[in-house]
Amino acid sequence: MSETAPVTPLRERAGQALQDTFLQEALRIATTKFIGLRREAFDDFPEGEALRDRARAIKEATLQHLDQHVERLVDNVERRGGHVHYATTADEARRLVLDIARRTGARVAVKSKSMATEEIHLNDALEAAGVTPVETDLGEYIIQLAHERPSHIIAPAIHKTKGQVAELFARELGRPTEPDPEVLTRIARAELREKFLVADLGISGANFGVADTGTIVLVTNEGNGRMVTSLPRVHVAVMGVEKVIPSMTDLAVFLAILAKSATGQKLSVYTSLVNGPRRGGELEGPEEFHLVLLDNGRIGQLAGPLREALSCLRCGACLNVCPVYRQIGGHAYGYTYPGPIGILLTAMLNGPGSVTELAHASSLCGACADACPVRIDIPRMLIELRRDVAERGLPPWSERLVFGAFGGLLRRPALYRLAARIGRVLQRPFVRGGTVRRLPLAFGDWTRTRDLPPIAARTFQERWTQLAREEHR
Amino acid sequence: MTTRAEFLARIRTQMGRTPGLFGAEPSVRPARPRERFEVLRRELAERWREDLARFQHELERVNGVFHRVSAVAAVPDAVARIAAERSARRVVAWHPDALGLDVASPLAAAGLEASAAPATEVDAAERGRRRALAADADLGVTGVDLAIAETGTLVVVSGAGRPRSASLLPPCHVAIFDRDALVTSLLQAGLALEAWHDGVPPEDRGAAINFITGPSRTADIELTLTRGVHGPREVHAVFVEQGLAPRRG
Repeated sequence: MSETAPVTPLRERAGQALQDTFLQEALRIATTKFIGLRREAFDDFPEGEALRDRARAIKEATLQHLDQHVERLVDNVERRGGHVHYATTADEARRLVLDIARRTGARVAVKSKSMATEEIHLNDALEAAGVTPVETDLGEYIIQLAHERPSHIIAPAIHKTKGQVAELFARELGRPTEPDPEVLTRIARAELREKFLVADLGISGANFGVADTGTIVLVTNEGNGRMVTSLPRVHVAVMGVEKVIPSMTDLAVFLAILAKSATGQKLSVYTSLVNGPRRGGELEGPEEFHLVLLDNGRIGQLAGPLREALSCLRCGACLNVCPVYRQIGGHAYGYTYPGPIGILLTAMLNGPGSVTELAHASSLCGACADACPVRIDIPRMLIELRRDVAERGLPPWSERLVFGAFGGLLRRPALYRLAARIGRVLQRPFVRGGTVRRLPLAFGDWTRTRDLPPIAARTFQERWTQLAREEHR
Repeated sequence: MTTRAEFLARIRTQMGRTPGLFGAEPSVRPARPRERFEVLRRELAERWREDLARFQHELERVNGVFHRVSAVAAVPDAVARIAAERSARRVVAWHPDALGLDVASPLAAAGLEASAAPATEVDAAERGRRRALAADADLGVTGVDLAIAETGTLVVVSGAGRPRSASLLPPCHVAIFDRDALVTSLLQAGLALEAWHDGVPPEDRGAAINFITGPSRTADIELTLTRGVHGPREVHAVFVEQGLAPRRG
């Protein structure tokens, strides 16, 4: 169990997010923009739907022979002069990276954006060992300066205003400036360029590992991934074991849909294929290349209820369309991975006990499954997690009572119709502006964080019966 | 520490507990990718004009700049013009064998500080000196191994005489290509990758392949699009109508 559970309950974290007016505005603008860009990209790309099916099949096929693909990846990385390490836990992964840092005498480590290193909380460990980790993705750099955590998988600092970033740069870098994104970006470029040139260690994640060739693939827009894998003397890539894909032919399929799903670009600016250490005749490239293969709960799900989540490409599309994420943002989830897929990944990494609250932070509307480039059925797994929580007797008695009663009504149509008629009268004192905002007694738990549509003046059943009657006339 | 055997054993144990979610196969890999890619190249030679038009359109969509010159002899002037417009003085370039022409010498003759990368292994001190040159350069000139029309992408393979830094460290990247580099789609680029990784690679090929689709960009501050955050602010693609000298390898 690798991550510390948040101290405050989800309800409180969500409440804070809902009261943060800037966050609300930023989330609305960012997610709406990403949704639009993604839709345009796929509208322009008729073969996209078939490629999504293809990509889904490749992921599942790879998992069915994962041992062979991992072996081939390892053999080919080693054939090219790279070293491969195996981490069963987050703690082991941290120790492996620290050992490499210590052995090579690294003082400064430049990092390209990597959820895998976020997930194992590598930066704290590096700092404690006397190595200065420098996040080089602009968004990650900003939140590192602010001592925060990413709030979106691909846009880690969307919760910050340019004014806040300007204040941060003035305070942390001693460079007071106007709150202009162009100017702020130039400052970051200058600061980070220096770090790239002095760093002894480059740390990256991996979007894909190609088994056939032993190639690690990184996708970035800024170019920091290229710097991290080319300039320092040593490069370490930390890769979740499920990121292996069989071939370059498969890679082309994923590249065709990944950026479109994430940012609506046809391709991200840089797709970097890294084939191990510097080769003879090259001016740049690391002298040492290390690949850390990370399990951290993944392998256990090969035959587990969350297997499908092992296909995730970390594009962030499901976050943007999720009505819950759009309201509360990434931090309220309380763990490294936010959003609908984040709940599943949190359960994978930290056990189902970590998501007893989070499993309910979804309306099960299915927008995430529609947006997912590899069509992961996220709602199905959320429901399974909820069932798991319920079966372990964890929900409060009031919830069990209300849902027990509701379930009883659903099985008895006559009783259901009667209850609807009674409810229509009883709800009157609680309807405000077309919604039920607060219910008394055992029902209060449900409405504390949700609005309930009132029972209609004429229920669907009543209208249906009447329609049927008119038809016959 | 977990060993390879333990790690794989864990995977196998779990795999043995499930048949998987549904029947699925990975992509069918071409049996002889080099031959297949050569066949494709011959087919594409028929339609280079369409591919070039699409490439230009897509490159411009991602804020790249397209140039077209008739012959190799006109390339140094085109590069000098780009440099002059930006008051650029320091230029680093790929080695003439890798580029298909010598661009550094004429630029140096025209008064710019231009240098070409060495074509063979040099010692660590020289590598350091070369890196400092690239880091200070205003302009980097490279060749192109593939130009993908569908996405406006330049693919560059690193290697001897083909430094990665020339397309990364200077604020302006100028890439020189001809019709031989053009492919229509990303999936065709997948076939090129298969071909390049089939068998023993040419001596001068290095460890990095980069797909470059426009200038470096970020939208991390309030989603405001900003160019040149780490890589080049500008990407220029210069198309040589009559073709470059055939490259080694």
